[in-house]
Amino acid sequence: MTDRATTTTRTPLMSVRGLTKDFRTGGLFSRDRHRALNAVDLDIPHGRIVALVGESGSGKSTLARCLARLEQPTSGQLLLDGRDVLRTQRRGASRAYRGTVQMVFQDPFGSLNPVHRVEHFLRRALLVHGRPAGEDELRELIATVGLSEDMLQSYPHELSGGQRQRVAIARALAVDPRLVLADEPTSMLDVSVRIGILNLMRRLRDEHGISMLYITHDLASARYVADTTQVLFAGELVEGGDSLALMDRPAHPYTRLLLSAVPDPERESGYDPVERAALRAAVLTPESCPYEDEGTCSRTEPVRHVIGEDEGQPHWVRCHLYAPATPTARRVLTAATPEAENA
Amino acid sequence: MTTPSQSPVPARTPAPARVPVLDVRNLRVEYGGDGRAVVGADDVSFTIGAGEVFGLAGESGCGKSTVANALMRLLKPPARITAGTVTFKGCDVLAMDPRELRAFRWREIAMVFQSAMNSLNPVLTIGEQIGDIFTTHERMRKRQARARSGELLELVGIDPARLKSYPHQLSGGMRQRVVIAMAVALKPALLIMDEPTTALDVVVQQEIMAQIGDLQRELGFSVLFITHDMSLMVELSHRMGVMYGGRLVELAPAKELFADPLHPYTQALMNAFPPLTGPRVHLTGLADLPRTGTSCGFHAHCPDDRSDCSMNIPDLREVAAGRFVARTSGGAR
Ligand SMILES: Nc1ncnc2c1ncn2[C@@H]1O[C@H](COP(=O)(O)OP(=O)(O)OP(=O)(O)O)[C@@H](O)[C@H]1O
Ligand SMILES: Nc1ncnc2c1ncn2[C@@H]1O[C@H](COP(=O)(O)OP(=O)(O)OP(=O)(O)O)[C@@H](O)[C@H]1O
Ligand code: SF4
Ligand code: SF4
Ligand SMILES: [Mg+2]
Ligand SMILES: [Mg+2]
Repeated sequence: MTDRATTTTRTPLMSVRGLTKDFRTGGLFSRDRHRALNAVDLDIPHGRIVALVGESGSGKSTLARCLARLEQPTSGQLLLDGRDVLRTQRRGASRAYRGTVQMVFQDPFGSLNPVHRVEHFLRRALLVHGRPAGEDELRELIATVGLSEDMLQSYPHELSGGQRQRVAIARALAVDPRLVLADEPTSMLDVSVRIGILNLMRRLRDEHGISMLYITHDLASARYVADTTQVLFAGELVEGGDSLALMDRPAHPYTRLLLSAVPDPERESGYDPVERAALRAAVLTPESCPYEDEGTCSRTEPVRHVIGEDEGQPHWVRCHLYAPATPTARRVLTAATPEAENA
Repeated sequence: MTTPSQSPVPARTPAPARVPVLDVRNLRVEYGGDGRAVVGADDVSFTIGAGEVFGLAGESGCGKSTVANALMRLLKPPARITAGTVTFKGCDVLAMDPRELRAFRWREIAMVFQSAMNSLNPVLTIGEQIGDIFTTHERMRKRQARARSGELLELVGIDPARLKSYPHQLSGGMRQRVVIAMAVALKPALLIMDEPTTALDVVVQQEIMAQIGDLQRELGFSVLFITHDMSLMVELSHRMGVMYGGRLVELAPAKELFADPLHPYTQALMNAFPPLTGPRVHLTGLADLPRTGTSCGFHAHCPDDRSDCSMNIPDLREVAAGRFVARTSGGAR
């Protein structure tokens, strides 16, 4: 098991700096661009699970695809062990890189060719990366993901959705990766098997020291598996920190909007609609953000402010409200959190 | 800033009158014949009151859609209703002839199908598809139908200018709203929604559910709400039933069922959703035990003494006012 206390001081396994991705919209010769990611900074430490949350279209998959090098970023750095792979491997990922970083997709049904047995997928993955692919290796691999040996002989259609996703994960593990990028690995699975996949992810982290980027819009599951959670909004990271702390004390209006949308039977009444509309407006039109009243936000880009630390993780947010300098922000903040008055 | 149009979710509206709009008794549906029939629903009984939101929960394949389709008389061979009654506002739904059915469907009970947002016709505009409902069912003139279609879109929070759009020009959330608008077009007394928001992300899902709450208060219909998301269901329903292997295993007011689930399966199902507050706990979710002829599949979660219940899922018994559990008399908690 990894020593959690020291991981933060080490160079992160993967660091993303200023990552920007533009897509061309319109025809082949069109000059119109859509900015899917803007100046994203993100660290994935050794042996940690980092959740990336955000609503549909916020750019989560694009970020994962850039990390997997399935997509060429427009600008920025991708540092693996501190070395910028976008500079050293301009044309595409080296075999070593592909062996280090593996991706697991949302759809366990589409990603396995129906004519082959499970054994075939795993053996091929092992061989492609020059690893021994004997019976022992196969047996160990299938056991790691919690399936029984005889399933090596099964065809994909004979497996349930959860079992198929386990096979897809086993295939990713075949190359002994240090980082697994999991893009909504449970969203197409039935509830009855989701927790099993999340538990498998936790076990791979704890027992094998594998780092993961877990992409989801299910905040409760992010809280369940991920050490830290990063919130992506319209291509920009707006808040990040220890998962429990972030969800207990969400700071950015967008994070609060996301959390307020999670169904919660404990909530006494439906989420206050006035508050929700205000959050929606804050997020969609910065000029009318109800959390500030001096118009500063529409003129300047907010920068990261660290607002706390939990479990050695800084809790940061990009929102002018938390810039200690503005008097408005302090007023709003003290009004919003009763405890703050005593502080 | 825009003024908020959404109000809190329907679960908090006052408890509705207990006059059942729908009464389902001992419903049994089988797929296929010749002795090798698969039982899709078995001995399912429940009622839905006027203005009530009734939820049906359970994992994939437990029979939720089977029940919904049976109520609408939409089951096609090899599916057969082999036992039970469905009574809607005093009428025997299972005895209706095709002509009566045509008058009954969509007007009295309407349904939003699982993944309905992909069911809109791609080559017709939204306006043409909604307008069709009024011209065929209400024999309205084109122009009047167009006006009504516009009103309907506004009701679900979409700009009536979108009547000219084709489905692919709308987001998934907007398409889902269009489908819901179409289902309530003829002001049905009961709206069945089969996983209405499962494919959508949380923010859009919440907005749509809030909108349905508004509609429901405005139009006063009852709702049969199907989902496997227990949290969403408890938040939105007045009463709910949990299905497992084609049978109802528990039936209770949603809040009570959430606070104190009695059946082992309900407990396991609730254990499959991580909480948003409190310490990080380890969840086991649902056991992967198959249901066989000699076990109902939930032994791992069961009380020690189940001497007389292990052959199959027992019938529902009322254990407290309004609370029903599939448990034999011997099976103490
Ligand atoms: N190949 C592409 N060409 C043009 N635009 C693209 C392309 N891929 C993604 N986009 C756009 O980039 C934005 C981000 O898309 P992305 O798939 O990363 O979102 P996401 O957060 O993964 O959403 P979801 O939760 O729905 O999967 C979207 O606006 C999308 O339309
Ligand atoms: N056309 C069919 N022929 C044979 N069996 C069927 C048919 N449709 C459904 N079944 C079976 O009936 C049972 C109940 O299916 P149903 O579709 O009602 O489940 P559900 O609860 O709606 O599941 P989901 O959450 O996946 O939609 C399942 O075991 C299924 O395999
Ligand atoms: S930076 Fe300004 S506009 Fe953006 S969320 Fe914060 S207060 Fe609102
Ligand atoms: S019926 Fe018996 S075996 Fe099945 S869940 Fe209940 S107590 Fe357990
Ligand atoms: Mg995606
Ligand atoms: Mg179904």
